[in-house]
Amino acid sequence: MSRVIVIGAGLSGLVAANRLAGKGVDVTLLTKGIGGLQLGQGSIDVLGYAPDRVTNPVLTLSAIASARPAHPYAAIGAEAVHTGIEYLKALLGDLLVGDAEANYQLPTAVGAIRPTCLVQPSMVAGNVTDGARFAIVGLRRLKDFHPKLVAENLSRTPLPDGGRLDARPVMVDVPARDGEVDSSGLTYARAFDDPAFRDRFAAALKPQLNEGETVGLPAVLGLKDRGAWKDLSEKLGHPVFEIPLPPPSVPGMRLNEALTALAKAAGVRVVNGTRAVSARVEDGVVKGVTMATAGAPREFTGEAFVLATGGFESGALAMDSYGSVTETLFGLPLQGLDDGPLVHGDYWSAEQPLFSVGVRVGKDMRVLDAAGAAVHPNLFAAGGIIGGSSRWAEKSGDGIALGSAVRAADSIVEELA
Amino acid sequence: MRKLAVDVVVIGGGSTGAGVVRDVAMRGYSTVLLERADLGQGTTGRFHGLLHSGGRYVVSDPLSATECAQENAILSRIQSEAIETTGGYFVTGPDDDPAFADKFLEGAKATGVPAREISVAEALRNEPRLNPRILRAIEVQDGSVDGWQLVWGAANSAKAYGAEILTYHSVTKIDTADGKVTAVHCTDLKNGEDVVIECGFVLNCAGPWAGQIAAMAGAHPVDVIPGRGIMVAMNHRLVNRVVNRCIYPADGDILVPVHTVSIIGTTDVKVDDPDNLAIEPKEVQQMLDAGEVLIPGFRQSRALHAWAGARPLIKDNRVAAADTRHMSRGMAVIDHTTRDGLDGMLTIGGGKLTTYRLMAEHIVDAMCEKLGEKRSCRTADEAIPGSESGKNYLVTHRLEDREHDRLDDQIICECELMSRKMFTEALATQPKGTFDDLRRQLRLGMGPCQGGFCSMRATGIALESDHIDIERATGLLRLFLKNRWIGLWPILYGDQVRQTALDNWIFQGTLDVEHLPQPESEVAL
Repeated sequence: MSRVIVIGAGLSGLVAANRLAGKGVDVTLLTKGIGGLQLGQGSIDVLGYAPDRVTNPVLTLSAIASARPAHPYAAIGAEAVHTGIEYLKALLGDLLVGDAEANYQLPTAVGAIRPTCLVQPSMVAGNVTDGARFAIVGLRRLKDFHPKLVAENLSRTPLPDGGRLDARPVMVDVPARDGEVDSSGLTYARAFDDPAFRDRFAAALKPQLNEGETVGLPAVLGLKDRGAWKDLSEKLGHPVFEIPLPPPSVPGMRLNEALTALAKAAGVRVVNGTRAVSARVEDGVVKGVTMATAGAPREFTGEAFVLATGGFESGALAMDSYGSVTETLFGLPLQGLDDGPLVHGDYWSAEQPLFSVGVRVGKDMRVLDAAGAAVHPNLFAAGGIIGGSSRWAEKSGDGIALGSAVRAADSIVEELA
Repeated sequence: MRKLAVDVVVIGGGSTGAGVVRDVAMRGYSTVLLERADLGQGTTGRFHGLLHSGGRYVVSDPLSATECAQENAILSRIQSEAIETTGGYFVTGPDDDPAFADKFLEGAKATGVPAREISVAEALRNEPRLNPRILRAIEVQDGSVDGWQLVWGAANSAKAYGAEILTYHSVTKIDTADGKVTAVHCTDLKNGEDVVIECGFVLNCAGPWAGQIAAMAGAHPVDVIPGRGIMVAMNHRLVNRVVNRCIYPADGDILVPVHTVSIIGTTDVKVDDPDNLAIEPKEVQQMLDAGEVLIPGFRQSRALHAWAGARPLIKDNRVAAADTRHMSRGMAVIDHTTRDGLDGMLTIGGGKLTTYRLMAEHIVDAMCEKLGEKRSCRTADEAIPGSESGKNYLVTHRLEDREHDRLDDQIICECELMSRKMFTEALATQPKGTFDDLRRQLRLGMGPCQGGFCSMRATGIALESDHIDIERATGLLRLFLKNRWIGLWPILYGDQVRQTALDNWIFQGTLDVEHLPQPESEVAL
């Protein structure tokens, strides 16, 4: 047993575990596998749209917190998000740059301009500015990045601060592995870890670049070697930036690997590989969570529990064929189920309400029932399991995860003490 | 305005029209097929994928049963590439009347439908997911058929005989003079151009829309009563044979393995407008309950997509008794000469995909007779292009193909094992096509991720092909995502919710596709 059991290894679970361990608490982190960071864009969103494009995320989230009581930010509050951001930056050192008061506006892999708050240094040069000249470079053997799509959409998009940029597509063909035409982003990332590959790549690309161009590349510039992008930039003699791809996300993996290594170094016991399938509650108090480990199920007991299991995407929430929605581990009460149909047929109109369903939390991140009472005195929630937001549309998921994780961890530390 | 002149205009690009244009062309007439959308976009593309053995009709409709059995054998030969000879079972469910199986076997014998009762144990051994409480099992020669390949096969065969196939051409007017059809007007929807086709004969094969076409020629109203049926595709092949309930035909009593999925259906609800087919939640629930009878745990397996089709049922009191020689229970040829005093046009309705070739033979025979010509039908004798080998489709074919080219080509759709070359070649033949047009031929986006990973790739590759510009490319992506959702949201539960959450995370979260420049008007075709 540990004093605290954290369930889930996405951003919220990893941050909660790190923070608890950093304050001397004995923590076990239970996870079925690699968490959600590898599915996302690898930057830290706080608030991108509300619904208009947001330039100062922390300021705008304060407004949301007061205007929308059911939104997770209402419980979390701007201060906790601030704390979370500073904590994460301190943890990860040179892997993240930026501050809570400003969003970067970065190109996506379809050429949209996406607001995000903290970014990896390898992404910074993509921040769009009037008059910028981008060469968007695709790899012939990487099917998840199409430079013409990115460049031509960027070129026809008025920039958020006014003005335009000029982007053109460039295609290069440098195999990540000999004889392979269908290489994943991860395969390329491993290739870019190798300085010799970077030499070959730079030699192929450099002749195609024009003076004054900034080079946009798929976000595969090294997995282990955090300086790979910088080395490539020097070899090319041009600034370069990374554009995140659909999963597997190499920048997300960098964050995941760094946070997991830090957690382990801080003494967190990570139990990986099977799903948490049931919970034991006695007299309203959570006593243990059982993992479906090989051989026989195994229970992990603790004094406090952090539910950081995510939403529907991870199986933390499920809807059956009769349309009933459940939180799959504790069967917790959910918010967002009573406001009419959960899905509708118009893809491009309003958000699907289903994906805002989740648990309700108080300011200390305890899970609450509909009446506002704690469901279990020692159960806290963090991240995507908390309902009330359209995190993908708002670009708020990471901020919610950070703020709720530090809040939950700090509440637990306070009470255990 | 563009002008053409042909012997015969065929209206409707479903299975009937495609079969008819092939037959007409093979009999030596010059001909054009007009379809307002893509081939097989109407009823033909919205069915089970079942190639009937005839078993379903041995009790209720013996003539149809015999026709199905004969046509099944013919199509499995001449369109082998589109057909998987899965075989099928008729099973008596735990609460079904076991005596129906006796009537079934008698009927099968009388109608010439091959059928053989097997032990329940053998049925369960071959189809382990079947309800172990079934009471009886009869083996038949059901198969599964890809409706789009069937239609494109027939169309390509017609083209080889000189026919012209005009998709996205919507008929606007039919000219008549002295009681005879003289020309068909249509609009090329892709570029707005008007086309006039002078012709000696019009064959109206518009299915549920046949009444609208007949009215354009000034015929008395043809009473088409579209019957809506819904289908639900389940992830994986829950069965490898067609499984039917051995009962009098009812709703949700057939499960068909087609390509990588299995499809349960269907319902039959009369509707007014074949262009407006809802997928009602209660009908989805009905399908899932019906699936549970055949396959216990059906509700726990993953539903991928749902759709609704309209049966082209014609109820026509004006059909004279003398015309019935061209009618069987399943199909009706309407002779507008005797009915409306209008020469040069025939309308065909009813029928089923399995007998599409036979329907074509009937209507073209009727046309030849009216024209006073003796030209015999040869469509049963000749394989269509691509099926010359006579080898039937197997679900493992694509895997085999990818094993061969995996080092030379990329897989753009992992779910359906569609290579980059397959996509670019289809795109080159339909440079103005939407991704749904390409999907119907390639199965792009039809697997578990429902476009989550492949649609962005398809957009990028299409743009790089230089057939389209960035606005259209982005518009096509928007259209494809929108259209996938139409079939997704009615069956959104279980693991498909999880998949949709991931897809939304990718498109909204990572790609921010909503904030691409908004089109002035959405791409529609």
